[in-house]
Amino acid sequence: MMMPPDDAVILTQDLKKDYELGAETIHALRGIDMQINKNEFVAIMGPSGSGKSTLLNLIGCLDTPSSGKYWLGGHEVSQLDDNELARIRNRQVGFVFQTFNLLPRTTALHNVELPLIYAGMPARERHERAKAALDAVGLADRMTHHPSELSGGERQRVAMARALVNQPSLLLADEPTGNLDSVTSEEIMEILVQLHERGETILLVTHERHIAAYSNRLITLKDGMIETDERHMIGAPVL
Amino acid sequence: MNVFDAVILALRQVWAQKLKSFFTLLGVIVGVMFLISVIAVVEGMNRYVEEDFASSIFGINTITIERVYSRRGGREDARTRRQRSRNPWIKTPDAGLLQESVPNIWYMAYNVDRFMPEVRSGGNKRKNVRLIGVTDQYLALQGWDVIEGRGLTRIDDTRAIRVAVIGDAIAKKLYPDDSPLEQDIRLGPFRYRVVGVLERQGGLIGNIRDASVVIPWGAYQADFSRRRDVVDQIQIRFRTSEAMVAGQEATEEILRARHRLRPGEENDFSIETASEVLDAWNAVKNVLLAAGPGLVAVALVVGGIVIMNIMLMSVLERTREIGVRKALGARRIDITRQFLAESATLSSVGAGVGMLIGIVLAKLVDVATPLPASVPLWSIVVGVTLGMFVGLVFGVYPAVRASRLDPIVALRYE
Repeated sequence: MMMPPDDAVILTQDLKKDYELGAETIHALRGIDMQINKNEFVAIMGPSGSGKSTLLNLIGCLDTPSSGKYWLGGHEVSQLDDNELARIRNRQVGFVFQTFNLLPRTTALHNVELPLIYAGMPARERHERAKAALDAVGLADRMTHHPSELSGGERQRVAMARALVNQPSLLLADEPTGNLDSVTSEEIMEILVQLHERGETILLVTHERHIAAYSNRLITLKDGMIETDERHMIGAPVL
Repeated sequence: MNVFDAVILALRQVWAQKLKSFFTLLGVIVGVMFLISVIAVVEGMNRYVEEDFASSIFGINTITIERVYSRRGGREDARTRRQRSRNPWIKTPDAGLLQESVPNIWYMAYNVDRFMPEVRSGGNKRKNVRLIGVTDQYLALQGWDVIEGRGLTRIDDTRAIRVAVIGDAIAKKLYPDDSPLEQDIRLGPFRYRVVGVLERQGGLIGNIRDASVVIPWGAYQADFSRRRDVVDQIQIRFRTSEAMVAGQEATEEILRARHRLRPGEENDFSIETASEVLDAWNAVKNVLLAAGPGLVAVALVVGGIVIMNIMLMSVLERTREIGVRKALGARRIDITRQFLAESATLSSVGAGVGMLIGIVLAKLVDVATPLPASVPLWSIVVGVTLGMFVGLVFGVYPAVRASRLDPIVALRYE
């Protein structure tokens, strides 16, 4: 049996995902072999229908593969049940979405607390951790605000604080700048770069080349397979 | 999401949309309200019948003997009417015989009464009065306390002295300014002397006592009797219910023999006990208590279905929220618990409102009508528990549906 190397955060082996659409079977992923190590900053690109979202769902443990194997942080997670997957999502993965996905009726602080609540952390410790996480993204003075009282950039920073508050081994960012103007996008990407420098492992899905350029490795998908996989210097133009 | 957070969130939603919440919770409100107010009235009536009514009119361990007669406007057919009109009157010798022959008598009294259009004293008058001629133990047997002056004595009776004990309403009307004692009261053409005033009864049947003038049997016979020696009611009280049952049987035998009834022939007199009144009330109560839960159940089920629909809509509206929560690590049980807490909170609010309205209704009934009502604590507990239970039961389906949402689909939901 294959064992993942120690520094591999993500390791997949012939990962496949099929969907039944009526009588037709759609092969969304046709066999992905991929290893992402600790403290890598990887961007995934590809045209729509290339399997980006499907791959992201599998890596984020929101879905299970039709076949193949997937190790996250050294543990095989491709065969886990619903509750175990929920636990992995809670402890190992931090999600940042294009549409922020903050709960509208609650404060920024409560939004950041959510993963800690599901982790079963006592209230006092929860507050401390959530405050520290908001402070780290520069929103200490916005804690009691509701999402509707925050700008787009601020909302995405709250979402990043929420993704990181449980100290996951992997940060998944799905088009995090898709709903932001270019100035705010740059701010958000700067934060991601800082996080990477601090040691986080980041997987970024985007369709914009200049956003992908912030990463140090670019994987492109096509028709459910890896087309290219290149390492490059951060900030170097991606061709 | 812990339960406390879910409760706070649900309360905030109820408050934010007060009118919508009211209609959502109408079924539960009506159900709990109905439950509490019906139980309050039944309980109040129950206590009243058992403690006041039965003991004050019929008394405990007391039998009442009456001639069976045709009531004016009664519904019996002509034959029964003829038959009843031939029923023998009960007279003082009958009472005397019972007094000698029935074992274990504690108190015994007989009385006769008539309606008086008015009684007067000086320039004051009181209309619609019941005039009762009684033997000396009558007041004690009825449990009518004399709060001013004295009751009637055996001497009053045997010497046919013209004295009267009057009800509270009459005392207030005839002698508004000073004590009625030793004052004159005009009963028809006769002048009587007031020697006592009865304690006020009030309430549903209060006017029976409060508008009565009680005079000695002898005086009544002399001044008002239409048929000499005829007795309207004989009442006998026993010390124990066993003695009462034996006394009732003895009374029946004696009167049947005296009236020369053959075996198989119906009694031409009636013997009533308080337990018969209680039986009648119990029958009414049982109907109320049998129909009540049905109505409450219908209201609660309707209320539950409305809550279920509202919760299903809420799940749909918050599909994305559910997706986010799942992505952040919420398990199925966490989502289920959140929505269950919400629907239970919602219906508990309805139960609370229904409880308040029910209590207010019961108070209104108590104050505004002669019906007594009291809200027992257990009905509040049952009402609120039922209300909350409705939310839990009808919340299960929406909550389970929410928990089964696929996080990927839910996150993409617009």
